[in-house]
This record gives sequence, C-alpha cells and structure tokens, in this order.
Amino acid sequence: MPTSTMPLESKDAGAGSLPAVRAPRFNWARGLVVLLTCVAIFLPLYLVFYQSFLTAPFFMPDKMIGLDAYRFIFDDSDFWLAFKNGLVLAGGLAAIAVPLGGMLAFLMVRTDLPGRGWIAPLLLVPIFVSPMVMGFGYVVSMGPVGFYSTWAHDLLGFVPWNVYSFTSIVVIAGLTHVPHVYLYASSALKSLGSDVEEAARVSGASPWQVMFNVSLPMIMPALAYAGVLVFFLGFEVFGLVLVLGDPEGHLVLATYLYKLTNKLGTPSYHLMAAVAVCLVAVTLPLVMLQRWLLKSANKYVSIKGKGARQKPLALGKWKWMAFAVLGVWLLVTIVLPLSGIVLRSFVQYWGEGVKLADVLTLQHFRDIFAQPSLVRGIVNTVLIGVIGGALAVACYTAIALAMHRKNDGITRLLDYSVLVPRAVPGLLAGLSFLWVFLFVPSWLDGMLHGMDNSVAAWLSEHFIPALRQLRSTIFALWLAYSVVWLAYGMRLVSTSLLQVGPELEEAARAVGASRGRVTRDVTLPLIKFGMLGAWLMVFLIFEREYSTGVYLLSPGTEVIGAMLVSLWAGGSTDLVAALSFINITLVAIGLGIALRFGVKLHN
Amino acid sequence: MNVLTVNDLHLDYGHGATANPILKGVSMHLQRGEVVALLGPSGSGKTTLLRAVAGLESPKSGTIDIGERRVFDGSKKLELPAEARNLGLVFQSYALWPHKTVFDNVAYGLKLRKMTARDIEPKVREVLAQLGLGHLGERFPHQLSGGQQQRVAIARALVYNPPVILLDEPLSNLDAKLREEARAFLRELIVRLGLSALMVTHDQAEAMAISDRILLLNNGKIEQQGTPQSMYESPDTLFTAEFMGSNNRLPARVVARNGGTARVQVEGMALNATARGTGASNPDVDASALIRVEEVRIGRTPVDNGIQLPLSTCMYLGDRWECLFKHGNSSVRAYSKHRVDPGNYWLEMPAEKLWVF
Repeated sequence: MPTSTMPLESKDAGAGSLPAVRAPRFNWARGLVVLLTCVAIFLPLYLVFYQSFLTAPFFMPDKMIGLDAYRFIFDDSDFWLAFKNGLVLAGGLAAIAVPLGGMLAFLMVRTDLPGRGWIAPLLLVPIFVSPMVMGFGYVVSMGPVGFYSTWAHDLLGFVPWNVYSFTSIVVIAGLTHVPHVYLYASSALKSLGSDVEEAARVSGASPWQVMFNVSLPMIMPALAYAGVLVFFLGFEVFGLVLVLGDPEGHLVLATYLYKLTNKLGTPSYHLMAAVAVCLVAVTLPLVMLQRWLLKSANKYVSIKGKGARQKPLALGKWKWMAFAVLGVWLLVTIVLPLSGIVLRSFVQYWGEGVKLADVLTLQHFRDIFAQPSLVRGIVNTVLIGVIGGALAVACYTAIALAMHRKNDGITRLLDYSVLVPRAVPGLLAGLSFLWVFLFVPSWLDGMLHGMDNSVAAWLSEHFIPALRQLRSTIFALWLAYSVVWLAYGMRLVSTSLLQVGPELEEAARAVGASRGRVTRDVTLPLIKFGMLGAWLMVFLIFEREYSTGVYLLSPGTEVIGAMLVSLWAGGSTDLVAALSFINITLVAIGLGIALRFGVKLHN
Repeated sequence: MNVLTVNDLHLDYGHGATANPILKGVSMHLQRGEVVALLGPSGSGKTTLLRAVAGLESPKSGTIDIGERRVFDGSKKLELPAEARNLGLVFQSYALWPHKTVFDNVAYGLKLRKMTARDIEPKVREVLAQLGLGHLGERFPHQLSGGQQQRVAIARALVYNPPVILLDEPLSNLDAKLREEARAFLRELIVRLGLSALMVTHDQAEAMAISDRILLLNNGKIEQQGTPQSMYESPDTLFTAEFMGSNNRLPARVVARNGGTARVQVEGMALNATARGTGASNPDVDASALIRVEEVRIGRTPVDNGIQLPLSTCMYLGDRWECLFKHGNSSVRAYSKHRVDPGNYWLEMPAEKLWVF
C-alpha cells in the first residue's frame, strides 16, 4: 500500500505524516473527583432521609419502614413552637440586617465617613467569630449578672435590658448578621458606576436622597440576595439561641434537634432525622432561590464613564451622625461581647458588688492546660485549620478544575451538587457523618460476610475495623467540615479560576500541551495566590466552626467549637470563657495574617 | 450677560508631594444663549474642568460663578455641593437610572424641587415631546436605543430649566452613522430652545459643528479660544493648527521674513509662506511649515509656489481620492477628484495657506 499524504487516505491507512486520530479517552482523574464528591455530598443526606422513614434507629434490629417519626414530631407542640420561632427569628433578623447592612455599605463605599480605613476590617469580625462565642460574650457582658449589667445597675439602679428575651435574641442575631449584607451590598456598590449617583446629585439630590433614590434601589438585586441569605442563616442559627434562649426556654429547630437527644433518654435518631428533613425542606429551596438571585444580582451593573475618578460623597452635617450610628453598632456587636469574654476569662468569679481588681486571675488558663482533653482540643483546632484547611483547599481546587472550562452535564450536576451541603446546617451535617461512619462499615461488613470467600473474609477482618476506627479520628471531623463548607470554598477557588483568561490556556493547547499539562503548567501556577488566600479563609472558617463537631465529639476528635458546646451544657463558665478567649485569639491571628498579606476577605 | 464665569482655576489630583496638576489656571466665561466647546486631547483637563463646574471635583484655587452666584471660591474655602448648583449635566455614559422609567428619570429633578405630581406631569411630557420621546415615557432605559437614551439624558438635564447645561462628550457613545444625525439634532435643539451650553469633546469636527465658540485646552491651560472659523482658519500656535484639521507638516528653513510673510526653503524649493504666531520664524532657523491637506493642489506642470514629488499611493475615500506623495523624508497628502496615475507631480501650496510658526 503506497503511503499517501492525503489526509483522508492516511486516516484510513492509520499511518502517514499526521499523528493517528485517537478516540477521546475517559478522563479518569475527573471521574474519580466527581464520584468522590457526589458520595461525600449525597451519602450523608441519603442516610438522613432513610433514617427519617424508619421507626427506630438504623442499628436496632426491630426497625421498620414507617412514618412514626414524623407523626411523633408533628404531634409535639415544642416542634411547632421551634418552627414558628425559627421563622420569626429569621424574618426579624433579615428585617434588621438588610437595611442596616445596605446603609453601612453606602456609607463605607461612597461617602467621606471618617475612619473608614480602620472600620472596614472590624466590620468583618462578627463573621469570623463563632456565634457560640458571641452568645457567650453577651451572657457575660450583658446577662443579668454580666459586667456591663452590674455597672449599669450601679449607675441607674436597674438593668435596662434583658438579653434572654426572644426580642433581644432577634436583635442580637440581626446586628451580628449585618456584615453578611454589608459584604454583598458593598461589592455591588463598588461595581456600580458612580455616574448614576453624580447624575442624581447634579439634579439636586442630597447624600441621603442619593442613597435612598438611586444607590440602594440600583443594588436591589444584591440586597434581595443578601436578604434571602440572612433569612436562611437566621433559620439555621444554633449557638446564639442555645446560649441565650436556654434560660427562658426559647427554642428554634436546630436547638430542638439538639435537645431531642436528651428528650427520650435513648438515641432517638429517627426523630432527629425527621426534624432534619423538615429543616432541609425549608433551607434547600432557599439555597436554590439564592442561586437564582445571584445570577440576576449583577443586572444593574453599569459601565463606568471614561476616566471617571470617583470623589467620595461629602456627607456634610450628617457626617458625625452617621459616624455615631456606626459607632453604636460597633459597640453593641463587637466591643461589648468580646470585651466581656476577655474580662471573664481573667476573673475568678463575677457578680453584684465584686471589685474587678480583687478577682483577676490566670487560673482558668492553668486549668485548661492541666486537662489533656482540652489541650488536645486546642491542638486539634489548630491542626484542622492549618493542615485540614490546606487539604480542603486542595480538594476544592480538584473539584473546581473538574468543572473548569467544561460545559457539559457533569459540570451542571456538580454545580448544583456543591450547593446542597449549604442547605444542611453544621449540626445536622455532623450528625449525618456520624451515621455514615456508623452505618457504612456495618453495611460493608454484612455484604462481605454474604460473599463468603477468602478475600472478603480478610477484608472483613482487617479493613472494616480500620474503617470503624475512622469515626474517632480527626479525619471524620475534617471530612464533615470540608463538606459543610464546600460551597463557600468552591466560590473562593472558582473566583481565582475565573480570572485566568481562556486564551492563556488555549495558547498552551495550541503549542501542544495536553489538558493535564495545561492545568499543571498554566492554570495552577496562575491561581497559586488565590489558593493561598483561600487557605487562609478556610482556616478562619474552620477555627470558627462549632456545630459540625458536636455529634462527632469523642476522645481524639475534640475541637474548641464542639468543646464549648459541651462545656456550656455542663455549666463550666470559667473554662468556656478561657477557651473562647483562645478561640478569639486564633481567629485574630488568622485575620492579622490575612490583613498583613492583603488577602481579600471578600469579593 | 455671563451665565458662567471661571477665573484662574487650579486643580490637582492627589495631595502634597504626589499632587498631579490637572488644571493650571483656567479662566473662561459663557454668555447666555451661547454654546462653548471645551476641546482638547485626552489628559488636557477638559472633562475635569466640566466636572469642577458641576461640583463633582474639588479645585485647589480660583473661583467659579454661576450667574451672579459664587459657587466656588478657593481663597474663602467656599464650595457649594453639586446638588446646590442647579446645573444640568449630560454624562458621557448617559448615567440613566435603570430602575426608573424614562418618565421617572426625567421627573426626578422636579420631584427633588418639591413640585407636585400634578405640575410635574405636563412639564415632563412637554420636555419629552420636545426631544421626540413623547411615546417612550413608560419604557425603561435598557429598552431604548443608544440615540434615544442620549435624548433622555438631555431631557433629564433640561427639565428643571438650569441656567447652564453641561454636556460631557455627548456624542461619543453613539456609532459613527448615528453621531452625525445626533450632531445636527443637538445643534438644532440648542438653537431652538436658546440654551446656554458648555460641551466637552475631543473631536474638532463635532466642536466646530455645534459650538459658537471653542476653547482649546492643552495640558491644563487654554491654548487658544475663538469662533470655529477663526480657530480653523487663523490658528495662533502650531498646536492649534495641528489639532483643528488634517495637515501636512514639512521640515522647512526660514530664509527671510517680512512682517506677515516669510520666504522658506522646502525640499530644495524656495516658497512664499504666511508667518503665524508670535515667537517663531526668525530667519535662518529650522521651522515647520504647515498646510491643510485640502489646500494642496496637484498638477503636472511646474508652478511658482510648489514642490515636485513622486506619487506613492492613492486611497479611495468615496467622494474623492487621498494621494500620498513621497520622496525621502518629505511626504505630502493631497485630495484629488480623480484617480492619479504614477509619476512625478507638482504640488502647489498657496502662500496664504502655507503657514510657518
């Protein structure tokens, strides 16, 4: 057969000057990433659903398929109370946080408000401090015998507030969620051309009229998104209500779920699962609504006029009033609770008529370092933040790369899948992972026994016990943390991936690099700094996390967040104060590093 | 009567050591019913001057008066905020509020002036009708074409009868075809309504077409000002001459000078030329000779005041040909009615149209 250079013939002959055309190979790396991601997301959720339709915990021999669990909780008046409270809390929280956050964003981004430089990082503090710590801070500073309450009592003869009332809880939750709205509102305002505001000023509008008539209406899509987000966050609030709602018995769904453990005395997994399904039934639609709103959030973004250098809007006589409003917010949301914790961790006890100088002590910290489980908790918290954070970012990057520049069904599947864990509150996620680590080994074991051959027997003898062991290692906790924060981490990584121009990768393909090489040689080096920033953010989030570890807490998996919940239940205020102080310190170090290296704390 | 007076205005971007002077002492005035164009290359400070008048930039020193009212005085630290100046401003990007309908966009300025809804309605309808937008009141800005958006922006600036209307590159966001129509529309509108307008543009043709008077800015200072005709036909400086039209610039040597006329050596030929400006063109000095492209006449036969160059190439422009004649470092462009065959040509440069600076 004579060789020919005609493309058609050479293809037929399978030889010639052109390289043979290869059939597209299956991308194993991508397949593995997609499979593991889907298992990590859907297996725990599936178990929750499965468990909710059983009449007893899954490990009981007498379990049956049935709706008993739902019947029980729907008959429980506490459930309906908690559900109603949850809705009121979420609604009230959004009603407080959205207007305040929007105004704050306008003041910070557009006006000549004094002190904007140092206020900006402070605004983010409530996002990175655990709500458990915040709640505790309010108890020790403004509770009936808190520092500021006793001082107010000395001055006025009475305490003008009651932090345990449901109204106070709503107000506190609202104020601590203002930064979430602020973040979205301010980034929307920054991308909004200032010419529309200048047009209003030239037409004769004062700064306040500009804000209410132009700026805020124009970022309405972003505000709507932030509103749904904080409503959703309000529905999941756990730590604040656990701490502040306990004395007067205010329940929301998450605390109702937590208290169910103790309600019947025996593990009532089927009831918890039923509550969990009810919770997810509300949050999942909210998450999908958020996704839809986010798409339309940039609707009004207009192109800035050529060379429009932005001059901050002069507030004039309103300047100091705006500053005072902001100052009050900072005082109530950050200074009061955090200073309360710092004070409480250095005093022996506190109450009416106690002098601060008499009771200063370092004893609580000595107590902490004398208890191996607490020391382990601190070490684990640092480890899970530093090493676990790095591993999590590596995983998020792998998933993001599996979706990168591939517009197919699998990408769309992942796109929606990564949002699902967002709808599962941390407390629930911890619980479902506990079930995964209890259920999967026994299920596999049963299957291996059924196979009845030597390999299966060996596996059953060696592999299954190792799998069972996983539950009490920090790996279990890391997995739960990473899945809970999947959506957040993915956003961090994909933001930097989006900044890589497609032509840079296409150029590498054109000079002959394979897909894998392009990723290694072009894409990854370009997003290196984005990944480092993401690592720091994930560190901060993992230091803050508390609810996910609650059900996974066992000797070896202690972390500060979960320890706080269990110590608080045990009533050891001194240790809670000192641990909270350590937690705040860790977060402050992380924030300090982030600010030092100019990591963008939000986008 | 002056509706706008700017006196010795200085403006820096940044402060202290990093201060970057943008306006270096600009003075100007605008009379009632007059249209003045601020013309200049990018970075000359024309938009900054407009924004300073509107109150959107803070000058360092100087004064700005609108009518009888002083709105900025650097020495007295007086600076009225933008909303108190009662001016109309048309943005380059139009800056229409996307969440308001066309009607509400236009009505907003009246609402801020505490007019009742009953008074606003006919006023807005009247302005929209004047601009040919009568039927579009209920639409949102994104439902309009570029030309319609521009008219809404103008209507919004006109509706409360400001003493001066400021236009920041009003035509630059339109595509080339639409721009010529809009230019005629804008000029006609200004004349019909008797507006006093200050317009920023970087396009000299646009400036000449629309305005009664042009202020040419160069590097933060006013280079020259005058009517479009005087700016085009008798520029005082090389910068003005070069900015206002398409030119041939030829290396020349001044041989002799006699009042307003000069004898120059170009391409080995001695030519009669007109001396312009003040400082330049002493004898025996290298200078630049400038002639507008449309003033060069192409011929086969020798002429008195001309040079001989071979044809390099011809470009077809539709209504005429633009021909490039080139030899060594000298090149001359000229227009021709017909296609020009290759070969050597005589290029006649009338003495009154050949300028040396």
